[in-house]
Amino acid sequence: MDIGESKVDSVFVLEPRGRLDSANARSFEERVVAALDQGESALLIDFAGLDYISSAGLRVLLMGAKRLQQSGGAIALCALNPSIHEVFEISGFLTIFAVHNDRATALAAMG
Amino acid sequence: MLRFAEEIMLLLLDDRDGSFLPIPEWSMQCALAGAVLMDLALEDRIDTDLESLILVDKKPTGDPLLDPTLERVAASSDVHGARYWVENTASYAEEIREGALARLVDSGILNREEDRFLWVFRSRRYPTIDGRAEQEVKLRIMGVLLSDEIPDPRDIVIICLCDSCGIFNELLSSRELERARGRIDQVRKLDLIGQAVSKSVWEIQASLAMAAHPVY
Repeated sequence: MDIGESKVDSVFVLEPRGRLDSANARSFEERVVAALDQGESALLIDFAGLDYISSAGLRVLLMGAKRLQQSGGAIALCALNPSIHEVFEISGFLTIFAVHNDRATALAAMG
Repeated sequence: MLRFAEEIMLLLLDDRDGSFLPIPEWSMQCALAGAVLMDLALEDRIDTDLESLILVDKKPTGDPLLDPTLERVAASSDVHGARYWVENTASYAEEIREGALARLVDSGILNREEDRFLWVFRSRRYPTIDGRAEQEVKLRIMGVLLSDEIPDPRDIVIICLCDSCGIFNELLSSRELERARGRIDQVRKLDLIGQAVSKSVWEIQASLAMAAHPVY
């Protein structure tokens, strides 16, 4: 997995690509934590390049969302493929995260 | 930090006399199995998705409560789903329960007392010596149930396990439980192993209900 990152206005965008599972959840967590420690308060995770997510990946998202909730920040996700969307639906993560169809829609909603 | 199996055992004991709460045996077995699997997941030894429970690292954790289950997962030549491993591990629940209780006794949290009924039947009770650990677990649970905050993974696990073995019926009044039901349902879905535990428990409950009230 490689992870792209960019900043669009006030929104920090992380773009994990490939598979997000126990093999790389820790390195993804480090990137999320680093962004939050730098003071980023609006985090968008763009799933356009992500093919697969496991429970280990879901836990990292939960940790990031919890930290942002505690600091009054915001987190959103976009561009989930159908199988990842199904994981989010079954695991109830759709009740926790704002999920948008694509990056442009997400940025407009977070702006 | 206590393992989930130890936390569940604390919650399964009646605070008044240290006897076991009247929880169906299968529910308790599945909850203990889920507790071990969830600890293995948080120790990065296994991972799950909607179909499979995957071995990540077969290196022992050094914890005798967890390593026998890790060994069985590692020895399996086939990949199975979380539910298979909940039910497989549930058949070793007695060992997990005894291990968890022995550790709680050794660490000075519980005392072990043997009673005899009619001079023949033995029963064991585990009165609490130090109630701080149990209190901390209960506070964590109530903190999640009474707020809209995003729970952390450990809190999700313990809420899944409590719900699957009906501990909330003992922890909360019926009115509190009614009010918290939506939140419990939301939180317990957040862990895929927790979902597998619930499904195993419900399926057995459903088959017992069918056996008691057959439809002809």
